[in-house]
Amino acid sequence: MLKFPKSAAFAALAFAVFASPALADGDVAAGEKVFKKCSACHTVGEGARHRVGPELNELFGREAGSAEGYKYSKAMIEAGDGGLVWDAESLTEFLTKPKDMIKGTKMAFAGLKKQEELANILAYLKTFSAAQAAEAGSVVEEQPVETAAAETVEPAAEPETMVVEASKGAFGLGRVAMPAEIVAWDIDIRPDGTGLPEGKGTVAEGDPIYAENCAVCHGDFGEGAGRWPVLAGGQGTLLKDRPVKTIGSYWPYLSTVFDYVRRAMPFGDARSLSDDDVYALTAYLLYLNDIVDDETFELSKQNFTSVRLPNEGNFIPDDRLSEPHYAKGLEPCMSECKPGPVKITARAQIIDVTPDVEGDDANAGGGID
Amino acid sequence: MVDRTEPKPTHPAASRRAFLKAGLMGGAAVAASAGVARAAGDPLITEIQDWNRYLGDGVDVSPYGTPSEFEANVVRRNVPWLTADPVSSINFTPLHELDGIITPNGLCFERHHGGAAVIDPADHRLMINGLVDTPLVFTMEDLKRFPRENRLYFLECAANGGMEWKGSQLNGCQFTHGMIHCVVYTGVPLRYLLEEAGVKTNGKWLLAEGADASAMTRSIPMEKALDDCLVAFKMNGEALRTEQGYPLRLCVPGWEGNMWVKWLRRLEVGDEPWAQREETSKYTDLLADGKARRHTFVMDVKSVITSPSPQAPVTHGKGPLVISGLAWSGNGTIKRVDVTIDGGRTWQTARIDGPSLPKALHRFYLDINWDGSEMLLQSRAIDDQGLVQPTKNALRAARGGNSIYHNNGIQTWHVNNDGVVENVEVS
Ligand code: HEC
Ligand code: HEC
Repeated sequence: MLKFPKSAAFAALAFAVFASPALADGDVAAGEKVFKKCSACHTVGEGARHRVGPELNELFGREAGSAEGYKYSKAMIEAGDGGLVWDAESLTEFLTKPKDMIKGTKMAFAGLKKQEELANILAYLKTFSAAQAAEAGSVVEEQPVETAAAETVEPAAEPETMVVEASKGAFGLGRVAMPAEIVAWDIDIRPDGTGLPEGKGTVAEGDPIYAENCAVCHGDFGEGAGRWPVLAGGQGTLLKDRPVKTIGSYWPYLSTVFDYVRRAMPFGDARSLSDDDVYALTAYLLYLNDIVDDETFELSKQNFTSVRLPNEGNFIPDDRLSEPHYAKGLEPCMSECKPGPVKITARAQIIDVTPDVEGDDANAGGGID
Repeated sequence: MVDRTEPKPTHPAASRRAFLKAGLMGGAAVAASAGVARAAGDPLITEIQDWNRYLGDGVDVSPYGTPSEFEANVVRRNVPWLTADPVSSINFTPLHELDGIITPNGLCFERHHGGAAVIDPADHRLMINGLVDTPLVFTMEDLKRFPRENRLYFLECAANGGMEWKGSQLNGCQFTHGMIHCVVYTGVPLRYLLEEAGVKTNGKWLLAEGADASAMTRSIPMEKALDDCLVAFKMNGEALRTEQGYPLRLCVPGWEGNMWVKWLRRLEVGDEPWAQREETSKYTDLLADGKARRHTFVMDVKSVITSPSPQAPVTHGKGPLVISGLAWSGNGTIKRVDVTIDGGRTWQTARIDGPSLPKALHRFYLDINWDGSEMLLQSRAIDDQGLVQPTKNALRAARGGNSIYHNNGIQTWHVNNDGVVENVEVS
């Protein structure tokens, strides 16, 4: 029997939160790392531009929803009109739980849970708001942030002792995985429905969840905003020059949609959706792909495997070795292999899309997928 | 056109060197250098250089060494238009600048689907669950107590060359072939870990899962898992780089790079594959008839000339020229590489130099005396299974133009009289 020591690091962190006024001394370098959580959607610093979210230069002192040329949600614009100006305090509240502070914001981000991360990201962002930095700093020191602190104290997730059983294998290394641990990580689903959780959701329920969490990247109808992935349409294009491979046109199994959305979406905020949300979204994606047409259609654990995707039958095993160029015993030609002088039939320069080249990237073809 | 920016000269001597070099590049190489020598002697030799007089840095200046400042151009590069976002994207190994068969850790191409996760090894866990006698959890410390192996393997993204399926697009073997690297891995044979948990008799497939924000997953046949897969924590002797899955990654030798799950946190044993997103929506090969191949795991026999190539033109004029390249096969070793300079009319067998190890890069050379006329360079690899690298046209004839993955077609570089190199296709 082994015992886990009580996490000393955790205790230290909790103590730090209580002892120091929030955000007093965030670490800019650490904040740059935290910004990775934002960089799927935001840019900051020289050359920053609007992406999924607005650029974040000169943020401190800026009215909410006011960056020029960015299309905000109504909620964010209203917040700005109502007098919301970004400073350390308001940013702390917003970044802790964006949707609690501004209902209807389209920022699909769960929030930063750790005080330390909040302090650090603000310190980092502040370096791009030169004018306001000093002032904003002083406001913060007097304002301990209660909500986040309260959240950090809960030690429930880290039990004091965890009784574990050693491995009985040949090396006796590792320990037996506990049922709760397996449940936490084993979320994969197979085409036969193995792994599906209890739950359900309708197309109509999926619509607003999609609009709020997915449409900003994947487009209102799954058509894909900019170069973000297309999720719907493309039926009948697989034989064309530029096939559009979507859930409806290409994917063989619905289980993959549920599995993938639950494990990896929304991009930058994975594992934030409830199982019912994922059922509803999966139903909605079926609707966007014209596989169901009834908004009241409800997808659940019970009826899941009865839904088949149209392209299922078109997947075949790897038969590369049957291709003529791989024929057995082929002796490659060494001389006089082509009749006359060899001609150039295509040049990269014609459609040159090599990076570092001046010019327009938009017409580039192909992709890495 | 191609970025060949020289690093900024910092010493006066260095700019003299650049001046000389520019002179040499003018064409009549031999005459020019002989001329300088006749006049007053090469100042790099006749004058005492700064580095020959003043002291260099001490041993405390760079505790972790970096490449020479004159190698600043040797970097991974990405192609911004390929993906919506640099977080789920790719960059490419600068193959044209490298030699031998080992890729330096900092130059190994990156492909991740939710950014490079940062994980403290003390916080990392590997779980084995599913059809096993005892589901287990390992810490990094546990894993380092199993017997280890060291193996040199290439890792190639199945989409390497994917942009070239429809025709030549990118001018540089960094971009056409740079989704590959080859390093020595240190790790535990996956077999030991699976045996520790005890695989049930109906355990035929393995699902490998990453701990990153994409929770990357791939199904792997049990036969392969028990054969030569490794759970690795070191590359080229040092810890894995963050972007290569620190602290733990799976090695699936010879098979699609996407299967080499990084930040490996879970292995589940099952009786059927899982049909995850990366084995249905992606990494399936659409054919001309609308059918799509799945589970195309093995990376085919392939080669490319890395120099000369568009980013590495011939700058020295006619005379001795080293044609250098890489060859590899997911089936095993490379038996032979042939090179042509006339677009495939006549071929010569190149010299493979250095170790020839299964599922690793092989370095080949053809040393020629270039007469300064145009060349159409190609290389063609043959592996120990007797499989011959096909032409791009043969691949298109068999699969159409929409396969994206597994493009192992023969690459053609056109070298003009001035030594400028271009990515072309030939009749
Ligand atoms: C998944 C995409 C996404 C992520 C991740 C994300 N944001 Fe946002 N952010 C947005 C969008 C979209 C908006 C616009 C919100 C609106 O209009 O309702 C926004 C708005 C904001 C605003 C308000 C700006 C203004 O001009 O009023 C701030 C501040 C902000 N984000 C900071 C952050 C920070 C800091 C992070 C990382 C900790 C982050 N965001 C992560 C998408 C994102
Ligand atoms: C911030 C942008 C963003 C948001 C928001 C987002 N996604 Fe995605 N989505 C992506 C990216 C990027 C990928 C591709 C990831 C990769 O390369 O592996 C993707 C991939 C997908 C795919 C697989 C597409 C394919 O063809 O393989 C599905 C399905 C999907 N997203 C569904 C959703 C759903 C449902 C939501 C809302 C809950 C959502 N996404 C929110 C960016 C986003």
